[in-house]
Amino acid sequence: MQADNSVSTTAGLRQGANRWLRVYGTFAGFVAMIVIFSLLRPGVFLSPNNLRNITEQVAILAIVATTMTVVMVVGDFDLSVGALASLSGVVVADMLIRGVGLWPGVVIALLIGAVAGLFNGLLVAYFGLSAFVATLATMTAFRGFSLFYTNGSTLFSGIPESFKIFGQSFTGPVPNSVLIMLAVLVVTWFVLEQTTLGRRLYAIGGNAQASYLAGLNVRALRLTAFIISGLGAALAGIVLTSRLFSAHPTAGEPLMLNSIAAVFLGMTMFREGEPHVLGTFVGVLLLGVMSNGLNILQVNSYLQLVLTGVIILLAVLLSGLARRE
Amino acid sequence: MTASAFAPTPLVSFQHVSKRYPGVLAVDDVSLDLFAGEVHGLVGENGAGKSTLIKLLAGATPRDSGDILVRGRPAALHHVRDATRLGLAFIHQELNLVPYFDAAENIFLGHAYPRRAWGGIGWRTLRERAQQVLDQLGADLPLNLPVSRLAPGQQTLVSIARALAANADLLVMDEPTASLTNQEIDHLFAVIRTLQQRGVGVLYISHRLAEIFAITQRITVMRNGRIVTTQPTARATERDLVQWMTGRAVDALYPPRSPATTTPLLTVNRLSGAYCRDISFTLHAGEVLGVAGLIGAGRSELLRMLFGAAPVTDGEIVLHSAGAAQSIHPRSPAEAYRLGLALAPEERRTQGLVLTRPIYENTTLTFLRNFARGGWLVDRRREIDVTVTLGERLSLRSRSPQQPVGQLSGGNQQKVVFARALAGAVKVLLLDEPTRGVDIGAKQDIYRIIGDLTAQGVGVILVSSELPEVLGLAHRLLVLREGRQVAMLDASSVSEEDVLGYCFGLMNEAMERG
Repeated sequence: MQADNSVSTTAGLRQGANRWLRVYGTFAGFVAMIVIFSLLRPGVFLSPNNLRNITEQVAILAIVATTMTVVMVVGDFDLSVGALASLSGVVVADMLIRGVGLWPGVVIALLIGAVAGLFNGLLVAYFGLSAFVATLATMTAFRGFSLFYTNGSTLFSGIPESFKIFGQSFTGPVPNSVLIMLAVLVVTWFVLEQTTLGRRLYAIGGNAQASYLAGLNVRALRLTAFIISGLGAALAGIVLTSRLFSAHPTAGEPLMLNSIAAVFLGMTMFREGEPHVLGTFVGVLLLGVMSNGLNILQVNSYLQLVLTGVIILLAVLLSGLARRE
Repeated sequence: MTASAFAPTPLVSFQHVSKRYPGVLAVDDVSLDLFAGEVHGLVGENGAGKSTLIKLLAGATPRDSGDILVRGRPAALHHVRDATRLGLAFIHQELNLVPYFDAAENIFLGHAYPRRAWGGIGWRTLRERAQQVLDQLGADLPLNLPVSRLAPGQQTLVSIARALAANADLLVMDEPTASLTNQEIDHLFAVIRTLQQRGVGVLYISHRLAEIFAITQRITVMRNGRIVTTQPTARATERDLVQWMTGRAVDALYPPRSPATTTPLLTVNRLSGAYCRDISFTLHAGEVLGVAGLIGAGRSELLRMLFGAAPVTDGEIVLHSAGAAQSIHPRSPAEAYRLGLALAPEERRTQGLVLTRPIYENTTLTFLRNFARGGWLVDRRREIDVTVTLGERLSLRSRSPQQPVGQLSGGNQQKVVFARALAGAVKVLLLDEPTRGVDIGAKQDIYRIIGDLTAQGVGVILVSSELPEVLGLAHRLLVLREGRQVAMLDASSVSEEDVLGYCFGLMNEAMERG
């Protein structure tokens, strides 16, 4: 009520700093990382070649992390995305080798993703399992499917050249994988931020019981989120298989933890700690830039994992501390 | 002047204590003495500074100036531990009990466990000691159950027992009765009187003025961080308190009832569910139907059945609109809303609102499609316009429509719940404890809103544990006991005692007729 600036100047400063750290801390860390890498390896890190490298490297993770964001918006998460990406990759490669044609093969792989998501969603939203248990179980089952399907081997011979369109071709100067990533980003951002569906998903994530009593069909909406996540994982599997031009039954596994980490990193950028697509994208870039930079610096790849863990902890801890004020 | 009637040295003495938060002087030069053997009431609207004052005493936040003396000596209160060591104990609305531990463990939490010869925990000794403490309170409760399975009143007793076990001689009770039944409140008051005779001082904070008058000897009123007055309870009236708290003269708390119509709106025939059986009544347009009963009588359950949120096993709900009667079976809240029903749930924060989201998103959540372009593309401008209009109609006080609902006071949060119902075409409004935890000013606003809505022909079913509120607002009163309908009373002619008689089963309708 009464304005008195003299007393609270220092407190105000601290509060301002905290707010800044909370909103921009993760982003500032990201920028700092770019500055450090480009100072340490001038001419290499910021070269057009390497920048393109980074975008191509993060494209697949960005697809999975973006649709993972949708599941995390409703307060669930999906551990099965990595195994599902592998499965979709294996299926699309096998379909192509059998000669079903490019687009039918892709559609079948996407359908598998949607059905797998539907199954996860049914388990969580309608049968009341926790997302952790349900998707841990389906992750194991999906992995088993891929291994059984391929008998544990890598599929590569007989994949038609036309399949390179998703992961290796360019439209103008831009890699197609990056275009696909941008499309997923834009569409998901639009759905979450600008449509009634997105609004309802955020409401459920904020308070599922209140959303139900406010007349939302909570079960159907949670189910929808899992279907979107399944589709994203399947799409990522297709792009990954195209990029590698071979399908390994566990190729998609690292996507799961990295995508969840990216969403968490993104969540640190918002006051209410909710997942947002743009935050997730910064999280993906942060992970991608770090891995690329550490590779250029020839840091031991095992140590890179340790550093990644430390960075995630730091970001989440700092934003938590800043929020406490 | 009245101090001389009590022990000469106050147990706790605030001396010119102030506390400033950025932008607001939360506690402004407060001086207040609390004595042994005295129950001291502290009242004020939300934001008056009561909570901050308690936090200063608990050492949860540092004071900017002034002194707090405990038994005449300046106290260094930097941490909650300091307060505990000085014999101060705090009993909050949300009790700090470990839900999975039994009462004995909770009572002695933080004390060393008794040991047996071989080093194991002496559970029997622990239970015996707990029983001794509970006996002092005249409390009889099972020691072998996790406290989460005890009734709310029993849980309150456990936390009081814990305070006794820690030799506390000043108890600070912050809205201790918020979730208690009338019976449990009576027992709590008996316990407080016992403690008082043993020389324990109590600082009693409540929005329920009837309780303040029932249990305290002196009352302190706070407003805008300052103490307005401290008075012997016997010299103050409810009207005085409200005037001191709000700073303005109050008209009657309840608006005059507009006459209910005889047009039926909702007819319920022998409705049965998991907790209710054979409920029948007709709600008329413009009528407030109060529902009274003890906790567990099936009041909330009845609302939830009407709203499609609890299963109906038998019976019929008929909705009348424009002369036509339609039998309805809402299977979800979504369906109920489409039919023109709306519910303000019992637990505002956990069932009513998405606290992290802005006011406007909460307001439009139910009928979002109506405010979106083409029914799917959100139109924030339009949502905000609607929210501002409804906010003005409901006297909603907020910084902006974009403010997260969690930052609002209880009363303003409840107004957002009302705004959501009014954002659609509501015909029947189901209200479950609409003024719980709401300060007196916001209460008056809510009563006025209910009056306005009924004047427009909306039918209201009102569940409230505050009997004066039900009697002041309702036209008729449905009394439930153990899931059954025991009486339908004319609210303007029945006394509080009679309603309680029906609630406890001491009276039944047949007796009255006879």
